[in-house]
Amino acid sequence: MDSILLWPILVPLLGGLLVLAVPRSVRFWKESITLLATGVNLWLVCSLFDKNLYYFWSWLGFGNIEFSLRLYHFSSFIVIAAGAFAFLIGLYSLSFMKYRNYLRQFYAYLLWSLALANGAVLADNLIVLLFFLEALLITSFGFIAIGSKDSMKTAIKAFIIMGITDICLMTGAIIAGYLSGTLTMSNIHLTVSGLGGLAFILMMIGAIAKGGSMPFHSWIPDAAIDAPLPFMAYIPAALEKLLGIYLLARICLDLFQLQAGSWASITLMTIGAITILLAVMMALIQKDYKRLLSYHAISQVGYMILGVGTALPVGIIGGLFHMINHAMYKSCLFLTGGAVEKQTGTTDLSRLGGIGRKMPITFGAFIIAAMAISGVPPLNGFFSKELVYDGALKSGAIFYLAAVAGSFFTAASFLKLGHAAFLGKISEENKQVREASPVMLIPMIVIAAGCILFGVYNSLPLQHLIQPILSVKQLAGERFAGWPASSMLVVVTCVVLIGALINHYYGVKSEGSGLKAVDHIHYAPGLKGIYDRAEKRYFDPYDIGLKLAGYLSQITWGIDKAVDWIYETAAVSVSFFAGRKARELYKGYYASSLSWALLGFLVIALYLMVTLNG
Amino acid sequence: MRTEATLLGIVFIPLLGSFLLPLIGRLSARFRNYCALGLVLVTFLLSASLIGKVLSGQAITVSQQLVFGFSTVFTADGLAVFMASVASFISLLIVIYSFGYIDHYDHQSEYYFMVVFFLGAMMGLVMASNLIFLYIFWELTAIASWRLIGFFREKNQVMRADKAFLVTFFGAVVMLLGFIVVYQQTGSFDYATIKASLNGGTLSNLAVGLILFGILSKSATLPFHTWLPDAGVAPSPVTALLHAAILVKIGVYVFARLFVATFPIEQIWHTVVPIIAGVSAIVAAGAALVETDIKRIIAYSTISQIGFIFFGLATGNMVGVAGGLLYILAHGLSKAGLFLCAGIVEQNTHVKDINRLGGLMKTMPFTAIAFLACSFSVMGIPPFSGFFAKYMVFAGGINNGQIGTTIFFMAGAFMTILYLLRVFYKVFMGETGESQAPEGSASMVYTVVIFAVLSLLSGILISYPAQFVQAALLNLPGVK
Repeated sequence: MDSILLWPILVPLLGGLLVLAVPRSVRFWKESITLLATGVNLWLVCSLFDKNLYYFWSWLGFGNIEFSLRLYHFSSFIVIAAGAFAFLIGLYSLSFMKYRNYLRQFYAYLLWSLALANGAVLADNLIVLLFFLEALLITSFGFIAIGSKDSMKTAIKAFIIMGITDICLMTGAIIAGYLSGTLTMSNIHLTVSGLGGLAFILMMIGAIAKGGSMPFHSWIPDAAIDAPLPFMAYIPAALEKLLGIYLLARICLDLFQLQAGSWASITLMTIGAITILLAVMMALIQKDYKRLLSYHAISQVGYMILGVGTALPVGIIGGLFHMINHAMYKSCLFLTGGAVEKQTGTTDLSRLGGIGRKMPITFGAFIIAAMAISGVPPLNGFFSKELVYDGALKSGAIFYLAAVAGSFFTAASFLKLGHAAFLGKISEENKQVREASPVMLIPMIVIAAGCILFGVYNSLPLQHLIQPILSVKQLAGERFAGWPASSMLVVVTCVVLIGALINHYYGVKSEGSGLKAVDHIHYAPGLKGIYDRAEKRYFDPYDIGLKLAGYLSQITWGIDKAVDWIYETAAVSVSFFAGRKARELYKGYYASSLSWALLGFLVIALYLMVTLNG
Repeated sequence: MRTEATLLGIVFIPLLGSFLLPLIGRLSARFRNYCALGLVLVTFLLSASLIGKVLSGQAITVSQQLVFGFSTVFTADGLAVFMASVASFISLLIVIYSFGYIDHYDHQSEYYFMVVFFLGAMMGLVMASNLIFLYIFWELTAIASWRLIGFFREKNQVMRADKAFLVTFFGAVVMLLGFIVVYQQTGSFDYATIKASLNGGTLSNLAVGLILFGILSKSATLPFHTWLPDAGVAPSPVTALLHAAILVKIGVYVFARLFVATFPIEQIWHTVVPIIAGVSAIVAAGAALVETDIKRIIAYSTISQIGFIFFGLATGNMVGVAGGLLYILAHGLSKAGLFLCAGIVEQNTHVKDINRLGGLMKTMPFTAIAFLACSFSVMGIPPFSGFFAKYMVFAGGINNGQIGTTIFFMAGAFMTILYLLRVFYKVFMGETGESQAPEGSASMVYTVVIFAVLSLLSGILISYPAQFVQAALLNLPGVK
């Protein structure tokens, strides 16, 4: 019974309540509470690193619904990462969110999200997991809703998508619990077949949707525009990736034994590959800093799903390594986007350009993070991608090709983004732009430094954080840290990156600006029509789903009306008809009344004779 | 003896006390209101005072030898006390809300009379341990609801009230036939005697089918559901009462009482009832997505949610039945909150069409937040109590091997999210509608906020109601 496990949940939870409890007018209160709570939480989870702790409370006392928490290597790693991001983004928000509305709510949601994420990661009982994971719906909803005047639509969209997939997760979890007779996650070991297959699919939907994979992605680009920017860096870029991929890994490694080459593995890899490609193609053509990044937040989760989905040690290690790397460089990128937004007042790329010289530190952090996401050696993204490539190639050349193609477009779109935002000619309105404030720069610098650290010394995260997640038997003595094992893969990667660079020069040369560097792809024959439709949201699964729900409800509406017709019309006319007929029978003669009475009497007598004799 | 007096008090204090209210109303309207509140409060306190007793596994019985072989009259066991406490507590809050809502309409004495009488009849029904008494109280609730739905006395409202009365009365008569079949099979109307005479066997399918007619019509389940949306013409606190505390909960309670707690029924019903409930849940959810009248949407939502309750109760295992009962609690709190919020909107803007409303978040923020919180509970989002109820109902279904039916209900749960957010968005967010209005009166706003807070607290502190429910379900024949 290690009740210390409750503190990572309680500290941010109480912090959030304290933020709300004190009137708005008290200055620095919410900010200091936020920093204090996230700081204490970070210190706490770091001090617990690599311990094995367990907390149990009987909670309901039946139906296996117990409140149990478990800290072990994997969950410890994730809560530290979540805690670090919460602290850094809290720090960043001090400056970024200044002079904005709904600050108390913002900080409360930030803290509560952390509490819930900690709870979900530490949960050792499926219902505890569901409890915390689904409660995140509310904080995300609030986060997006306070973004701007029109953000409620996006908040609802996010809520509906996540709410529906959470119900899938819940049903899957129930089936898993039913099959194994327990809800304790560390005791569930199922195979992916029959009912177990259904449970796997449903739980997987919940996990990849949390991660932001296709087809559950479409709220993220909308939120990039509507939600406050720290939300993007915090929830879709960091926390939800950590949670979603943590959950996916738990599903594939613990709860179910995913076999390489099984249909479940191939399904996951296919989803991963499609997500990589389609999302990056959309990212390529975006003309807004934040929206472009948000599509990459979707695309990158494809690599993680692809990696974990291979069910090979190298793929899983790569996918998990990519998860932490992505959380780092993507939140760093969002933070640079926030700095640009704060200093220039826009994230529209056509109004930016040339601000690299005005904001050198932001630009530097951007370059590091952009190189990391593009997989340029020796940054962290390079090493995790190589591991994923290795796993993908072993599982099927097609998956490898999709992943490499994704890399090409990723590099191309970041060349475009960097060029359009930071290089080129500076516009008149941005002439006075200055570097962002230190509290915003520190988180960017720290995270960018982390990207270099995790790349150059990749054995540090790999050997101490990632590899212990798999058992020694699963690892089978393979080596993952250090320089990639296969030089061939490295060569291909370098060729692809150089290709992206050439493509960029070609684009800039022929179109004349960084912003239009990929227009030759955007307006290529065949692609143009598809892009046009995608931009008009013809392919948004959310809209399609809503339309289907609309048709279904029209049908049930018809059924409902048909039933009501029976009461409103049919029953009424039948009774009127019967009444009229009965009235016609009544002639007002004594004889006819008497004969009806006799007839009735006869029927009763007959009935009695039959039943009594029988 | 004192507990027996308590039991009789729970039934007869509101039932008989209600007749005094019109007389008191002639003296002082304010005093009458407080008397009504007092009667409901006493009912709740007496019910709650029995919780400790029944938790220890005792059942309190008032028995009296009567003609035609029925002897026991009232029994209070865990199930009955649970239902009585939940219903009287929700009614209590609704009466407080009524102070603000009803005070500018005529016939207030009749209103309070009928509300308290309604609660008394419900208490009698809950405690009855004899089919004939059950039927009598059942019809008393029908009379009270008929009067309350037609409270505003216009032709349309009276017609709707008649429709509600006729449909539920039709169901009740068929149910009475079912009771007669039970009598033929077992020679008694008394629960205990019937149970003894069945001796572990099951009730005849004919009887179960006929009784189900009554249950489904009272609980507004497809195909007997259309009276419930129409009953939305009633004053909002009345609709809250009908949906959350009393009327539609009668059907589910009697289902739990007869087919879960008392009589064994054949296995086939554990499959048939979930299917009927599932179809009802989906059809109503779809209708809620199309409908544009705020009260009708919430009414369809009730029909849909009642399906979930039936599903839980019909699974016949501990988790599922406990989930069904917790659902009654969770849905009662949150649905009462939703209706009362709708009442504030309707009364202050004089508009019920959600397409003509909008942007009310700015002028009535408390109502809006309470509405959202109650919606979260109905959707089953943690930490609201609806989450646990929904989880347990699903778990019950799957433990029963009903994967297909559960998937069906999953679709119902999807639609719940859709239609509730649609109402919230159209009424409280978006473009400003044609009518902007301030918050309702203090007693109304406090009540809805209390319902929202209770929805939240009942989830965070779920272990208390869950333990109660668990104790109530120990050793019941219908719970494996």
